[in-house]
Amino acid sequence: MQNESSECGEMEESLNHQNGSQMGGPQNNANNKQGEKNNPKPQYSIPGILHFIQHEWARFELERSQWEVDKAELQARIAFLQGERKGQENLKNDLVRRIKMLEYALKQERAKFHKLKYGVDLQQGDIKPPVLDDPALNVDSQLDSEAPYTSVSNASWRQGRQLLRQYLQEIGYTDRIIDVRSTRVRALLGLNNNAEQEENLNGGSVNCNESNKRASDTQDTNTGRRTPAKKPQPSVLAESMMLDTEAAVMANLDFLSNPDVDMEDEDDMSDEVDLETQDEIDDDVKSVKRKDDVDAEAMEVLNELNLLSESEDQRQDINKSESGDWNKPFQPTGQPGRRTTMGMNDDENIDAPLGLGLGELAQLTVNNEAESTYDMASSKESFRKAWNAKYTLRSHFDGVRSLAFHPTEPVLITASEDHTLKLWNLQKTVPAKKSASLDVEPLYTFRSHQGPVLCLAMSASGEQCFSGGLDGYIHCWNTPSCNIDPYDLFEPEVLEKKLEGHTDAVWGLAMHHNQTRELLLSCSADGTVRLWQPKTDVRMHDAETGKMLYSNECLNWYQSKADGIPSSVDFCRDDPTKMVAAFSSANCVIFDIETNKPVVVLEGESSAAPRLINRVVCHPTIPLTVTAHEDRHIRFWDNNTGKMVHSMVAHLDAVTSLAVDPNGLYLLSGSHDCSIRLWHMDNKTCVQEITAHRKKFDESILDVAFHPSRPYIASAGADGLAKVFV
Amino acid sequence: MSKMKMADGSTILRRNRPGTKVKDFCRWPDEAFEEMDSTLAVQQYIQQLIRKDPANIDLILKMPDAQDEGVWKYEHLRQFCMELNGLAVRLQGECQPETCNQMTATEQWIFLCAAHKTPKECPAIDYTRHTLDGAACLLNSNKYFPSRVSIKESSVAKLGSVCRRVYRIFSHAYYHHRTIFDEFENETYLCRRFTHFVTKYNLMSKDNLIVPILEDENVPGESEA
Repeated sequence: MQNESSECGEMEESLNHQNGSQMGGPQNNANNKQGEKNNPKPQYSIPGILHFIQHEWARFELERSQWEVDKAELQARIAFLQGERKGQENLKNDLVRRIKMLEYALKQERAKFHKLKYGVDLQQGDIKPPVLDDPALNVDSQLDSEAPYTSVSNASWRQGRQLLRQYLQEIGYTDRIIDVRSTRVRALLGLNNNAEQEENLNGGSVNCNESNKRASDTQDTNTGRRTPAKKPQPSVLAESMMLDTEAAVMANLDFLSNPDVDMEDEDDMSDEVDLETQDEIDDDVKSVKRKDDVDAEAMEVLNELNLLSESEDQRQDINKSESGDWNKPFQPTGQPGRRTTMGMNDDENIDAPLGLGLGELAQLTVNNEAESTYDMASSKESFRKAWNAKYTLRSHFDGVRSLAFHPTEPVLITASEDHTLKLWNLQKTVPAKKSASLDVEPLYTFRSHQGPVLCLAMSASGEQCFSGGLDGYIHCWNTPSCNIDPYDLFEPEVLEKKLEGHTDAVWGLAMHHNQTRELLLSCSADGTVRLWQPKTDVRMHDAETGKMLYSNECLNWYQSKADGIPSSVDFCRDDPTKMVAAFSSANCVIFDIETNKPVVVLEGESSAAPRLINRVVCHPTIPLTVTAHEDRHIRFWDNNTGKMVHSMVAHLDAVTSLAVDPNGLYLLSGSHDCSIRLWHMDNKTCVQEITAHRKKFDESILDVAFHPSRPYIASAGADGLAKVFV
Repeated sequence: MSKMKMADGSTILRRNRPGTKVKDFCRWPDEAFEEMDSTLAVQQYIQQLIRKDPANIDLILKMPDAQDEGVWKYEHLRQFCMELNGLAVRLQGECQPETCNQMTATEQWIFLCAAHKTPKECPAIDYTRHTLDGAACLLNSNKYFPSRVSIKESSVAKLGSVCRRVYRIFSHAYYHHRTIFDEFENETYLCRRFTHFVTKYNLMSKDNLIVPILEDENVPGESEA
């Protein structure tokens, strides 16, 4: 046994050799020769069986080393991504700082302008600036030095790049130096671990490589072989560097033009910003410092490169001492080797700007995405600020009960107690005198209901819409073209069909569209909620099922006898196999659409005052239900637990209507107190309140809506008007 | 205030909440006209009277004291146009462009549709729809009727032409779709009320009132007209 184990030890060594040689490059001749050298070994001491085992073991070992190489590669990738993230964070800080600076500059300009124009200091803002003055001045000077720095650095950076390229060409050992540089960069970014790991991982094969070198003096052949393979690299690198420069410059230009836009947006926010500026200036200073550090380190790298090029001897030394280490990743076995090389190329390309610049330009290049998301965020901010009444839709003779936007066009439909629905195109306006708002005339009047129209829903394509009336019918309409002549000939086909089944007023409709079908939910004062598939071909359905329901399109119906009459209904948007209905008992019940069974009950606590629910809507993405109550509250419910998660007095009078924006960030509510309010979904604070409609009897606002894809909101009032806000 | 304290202290809110049954729709205690403080008080009052008893035309048309007559006429005309939608819906089912390719009542006149740039010989159903749409636009026009509380004299003058046009819908229905007309009239008394209205306020000449609906009774407004 001992013998065997010692033999195994020997085997291991010899295998190491074999392995190492294979690592070195299995397809070249040198390796084959070595293999031949190895072959005699088993012949004089080991029988055939052992040879086979040894061979197998060698194969496994080889695979293991390949795995390790892959692992190293992935770790390198992780490290790189981490570095990138760090860089993006830096850039974000930088951008925030710049925006603050520009904001401040703008504010100062404004104050100056105000002073020049009125000869008096601007009051509202200037109460704070004295406090801010000292840091603000610093910021200002930074800003001043900043602007030239950017342009200078553009030029100097280009020069530096040129110079560097020259050096690199002179040196010849371009890739090696780039290796050095990229590891330095990684080291700068705090990723030493990884580099070390790489070394360790490859440590096993170092000896073999060295033995290889010693044995056949492969150093020269190695480089000789590798240089041609790598030759394209400098040019590729140069190109990529050029591209990066351009990208950087472009990003810089973009950035310079963006602040203008942002500043305009943020004019409105200036008050808020005033409060925050001071805190954030501290942060700014920190981030500046950090950036300086990074710059200094980058300079170190550059210096090092210079040193490398200047002192030939030193370079040789470095080559000698490091070539072993730094060549390794490029000399692993067969295919993985190629893969590794490619991976490294990628790294270099991306590292290049980081390594050379590490200033803002490089960061800007890397962080274009971060910038754009930041812009989006800020545009979101301004987006919520801007709601102003723009269009007044007057043509109904009585209260407008419901409205629905077209999914894509600036078009909406209103449903009124005057028995009609009307189609409006916001792009066809009549300029109104002495008012900022525009009047719109309806394009089409839908007549078919024999009584007030109470609710409305639009299909996902916008081609169809559905209206429910006091007459108990649901009408399916083919939406006319949004460019129709208002006084065109009557086309009976606009009314596609009536869905019959309810025996009392239809008060609520909700649409859901999935890949295969469009589903419509309706709730009625007859106590039922019904599910329809309005596009079903009646005859086909008959042939398949062979049975008659109330109507062929009615797929299912739901009831909760204990809870009374449903007042509103919606699909659970995050899980459309469920729907929620609000009942006169002040409970909401979530039903499973297929099985008909109640799943969860959102229980309104029983109390003396009835908390009648006027509207229920579901959040578009999360299992959250929002209810509007007659007792002035808006309540939020968790669909999974059925528990109330938040409750707030939202209006001065009954809350009648709710709408959630398509992203689920804002909630719009309408009330009989004549106002609509916009709420932050996450912190439940009111963002804006608009008084929109007048009262008729004790009713005022009857519906609100968000446009699914455009920045419009709308309200419908008992005064017969609908208003659209932009 | 429109809120009325009940004996038990609870407040009446005149609302049609979601889930209200047809029979309960707008079924709330009457509110005195003087108590209505809304800008839409006249509409509220007229609708309240109609809901109570659509046949009581005299009461419906009896203008409250100190009411601006222009607004009173305007709000009544709005209500007529709105209710005429009901007749139009019924006509849509029967009045085809093939059979009624012109807007006629008696053989005497062919009415041209004024909704177009040059008046056009629209089929009867289109004439009906266009006239109602046009009336809706005019009566809701921010230019002529910016307020529902006071109305310019020049705008009040527009009411007559609206009356003349929408009356043709009654006359067409009467002479060509008598069943529909009778059904509708029995439910709403709309043509009767309209005839009384235009006679009372002298909005149409008597020659144009070609639906013989008042012959069996004494026209109350005639003496005033």
